[in-house]
Amino acid sequence: MSQPPAPAPPYRPYRQVREATPHSRAVSCVRFSPCGRLLATASLDGTVALLSPSSLSVIAVLRGHSDGVSDLSWSTESYYLCSASDDRTIRIWDIRPVLAGGAQAAAADPGADRCIRVLKGHTNFVFSANFNPQTSSQIASGGFDCTVRIWDVKNGRCTRAIEAHSEPVTSVHFIRDGSIVVSGSHDGSCKIWDAKTGACLKTVIDEKKPAVSFSMFSPNGKFILVAMLDNSLKLCNFATGKFLKVYSGHVNRQYCIQSAFSVTNGKYIVSGSEDNCVYIWDLQGRNILQKLEGHTDTVISVSCHPTENKIASGGLDNDRTVRLWVQDS
Amino acid sequence: MSSSSSSSTPVLFDGCSDMTWSPQDDPKPQNPYQGEFPETIEEYLHYGTMKCIAFNRKGTLLAAGCSNGSCIIWDFETRGFIKEFRDKDSTAPITSVSWSRYGHRLLASATDRSLTLWDVSTGEKIARITLQQTPLRASLQPGSPTPSICLACPLSSAPLLVDLNTGSTTVLPVSVSGNGNPPAPTPRNKFADGTPPFTPTAATFDKHGDLIYVGNSKGEILIIDSKSIQVHAVVPIPGGSVVKDIVLSRDGQYLLTNSNDRVIRVFRNILPVKGSGEEIRNISNNSNEYGSHYDKLKANGTSCLVLSCELLDAITKIQWKAPCFSGNGEWIVGASANKGEHRLQIWNQAGRLVKMLEGPKEALIDLAWHPVLPTITTVSVTGYVYIWAKEHVENWSAFAPDFVELEENEEYAEREDEFDLNPREEQAEEVAIDEDADVDIETCEKNTVFSDVEDSVDEICYLPAIPFPDSPDEQPEKCLGSSKLEDSNHSGSPSSMDAVQNGQAIPPASSPMEVDNSTAEDPEEGPNSKRKRRLSVKGLELQQSEKGKKGSTKNKSIGKSTKSSAKKMESANGNSSAFDDEATEDDEMNIDI
Repeated sequence: MSQPPAPAPPYRPYRQVREATPHSRAVSCVRFSPCGRLLATASLDGTVALLSPSSLSVIAVLRGHSDGVSDLSWSTESYYLCSASDDRTIRIWDIRPVLAGGAQAAAADPGADRCIRVLKGHTNFVFSANFNPQTSSQIASGGFDCTVRIWDVKNGRCTRAIEAHSEPVTSVHFIRDGSIVVSGSHDGSCKIWDAKTGACLKTVIDEKKPAVSFSMFSPNGKFILVAMLDNSLKLCNFATGKFLKVYSGHVNRQYCIQSAFSVTNGKYIVSGSEDNCVYIWDLQGRNILQKLEGHTDTVISVSCHPTENKIASGGLDNDRTVRLWVQDS
Repeated sequence: MSSSSSSSTPVLFDGCSDMTWSPQDDPKPQNPYQGEFPETIEEYLHYGTMKCIAFNRKGTLLAAGCSNGSCIIWDFETRGFIKEFRDKDSTAPITSVSWSRYGHRLLASATDRSLTLWDVSTGEKIARITLQQTPLRASLQPGSPTPSICLACPLSSAPLLVDLNTGSTTVLPVSVSGNGNPPAPTPRNKFADGTPPFTPTAATFDKHGDLIYVGNSKGEILIIDSKSIQVHAVVPIPGGSVVKDIVLSRDGQYLLTNSNDRVIRVFRNILPVKGSGEEIRNISNNSNEYGSHYDKLKANGTSCLVLSCELLDAITKIQWKAPCFSGNGEWIVGASANKGEHRLQIWNQAGRLVKMLEGPKEALIDLAWHPVLPTITTVSVTGYVYIWAKEHVENWSAFAPDFVELEENEEYAEREDEFDLNPREEQAEEVAIDEDADVDIETCEKNTVFSDVEDSVDEICYLPAIPFPDSPDEQPEKCLGSSKLEDSNHSGSPSSMDAVQNGQAIPPASSPMEVDNSTAEDPEEGPNSKRKRRLSVKGLELQQSEKGKKGSTKNKSIGKSTKSSAKKMESANGNSSAFDDEATEDDEMNIDI
């Protein structure tokens, strides 16, 4: 805080080290667990897979959703995983046995039913779900019914149903202290909500077009990263509504591509793209540092490992792979 | 920029303390009567019969002691029941609960004269001690993260310092022997309203536990060094009446006493908050020129506390119960001690009455002001905990950044070229953003509200939620959530506030009733663990009659009544079986902990 930031180290490129095809249809989401010991992937085939973050071997498959899964979120202590599905439900999975038993135990019983809760209430596809990073006792979700919902994990009830947007909600994300939620929508707006009261605190972006396809808070909760379907990714000061940085060069006109902040080495913005590449930008300089090629369809989701310089990415139907990229040392 | 934020930003941003947008978005001048204090009962909590409550330091958890001897913890964010501490040996009603500074331990005092110390995260009993007398109030020493010393105020004897590890007790002095004592207060005071002739004493630690303030039956505050148990100073309270309560504000800057003469007195603490023990020893050592010991202590007292205001109800002259400060110390709340009355009065630091709140016709037995929010929780004699909060006022301009809410109509003078086809370009004034400026996405500022905490402290703010598994047979019924809503859409009550509140065109896909549904479900949670969003009909009427004048609140109360009718409608539809199922599920949940 007090010292000036050290000069950025020279960029070391990422390269692909693994690839796997754990799903029979498009991959929709990849998420490293906060503990770094698992990689969860979701697919349009309705399953969620838990992979080894080093070998990408399948440790467990979570079955239960009757339709495609769009989003995943881990609770902070990595005990629980929630998945948002087109079957209008959110499922909460107990991952503790997998973490406790290690790969062998889980592999012995890969199909065990680990779902402990089904959250019902959305009247259309659930598109996004996010655990409150503080309590893990709250989940925020958004969906095609245009609502943002807040759920009490403990008893599985919907505590707030906010008529948040006029078009499908594409993303919801809690700030690090869990006090507020950001939501983005196809209606082109991006709004901030008080998690406690459900009150709208701010409309950060209020345009009709382009649609907001993704929004998330920065790790310290000071900014939001907003993706729009005009091939742009913007870092925004949500208090003032001003865009501080614009990252471009990738292709994003159609899909809700999930991006990520990479903070383990240099500070990067990482995003998938509809030109089948993973893009890495320098956070400060906004220049493209690297384009990772390999996927054969749109890269819909990327995730950065919490401690290692590792990126996971997932591709849509023509590709179906999950790929793991590491930074050369 | 944070100068005004203390009174207008209920939202807590960890790491965003410089981003309080409310002040800049909210140019309305602050009306002194529109401070940040609660206005209405927002919700109630019910579990067994709760007798006393306490917030943890950050206000994320609320502990309550019950009449059956158990202690429970509520997650104050979700208002959900999390944990119960129960000791088979102790089934006597709890008289007080107290958190350790960082939330690791919880102390409960009970009418069976016991003190029980619990480990909050494991739920294990750390210590249990039985005293000679029933402790009415016990508080853990604020200094240490894992304190074992507590201050207990028994029913009819002097306050004690109790070491919970060893069980040793130290009786604190409650009076100062000294010649030249002022004449003892008239005994009339003591028996004025038929109170038994015991000498209740009240005591509290100061902010860091260096000093103990003891209020005695002569109407004096004794300031005692908590290490040497030596009285360093005496502050006589005007009126000289028995002190019933003595309470320190959260920041340690103010102290209040509640005396039998029906006056709450607020004192400003002029000792340094940190290092107060050192300071008072210096004062004590440097004052030797006084004739009597008592005069010396009194002189010392003048450099410790200064009376800043007296609060009373001049007309009804009621006794006060459970007075305390708001989290920021700006307000003082006191409850009427009358039976069958749930009435709160809120004063500002200048002693001006700013708000009166009236709840159901049930006596109030305990009260706590949330450390950060303008929220008060009160315990009723029925064992319910009521949560009083600021009425939610929709900030409409939040939905459209370029709109401004006006307090009243303004004559609008349009710009000369406003309706021209090609208005002169004025957009250039837009502040250019320096895209090359570095942004910091990682470091977080410390939360200024809790700046007194070292970063290294591992504080328990949240207890892990253990989601309870769905019971398989419940699932089909849970669907009622969506299917039924479609029905209620037709019966559609247009006044449902929750939906309208958010100011959006309501998409047809989901009905506004659904919002009601999810909240209306709540009271059915189970036979013994309940939370409810709004008041009972009775309470509702009370609220309405009190607030009927304001237009905006009127709307709101319509919303409320719709809610309760929505609930009735549901049970009339014969869907109550679903709730029964959920109730059993919740029963299990309680055991699981």
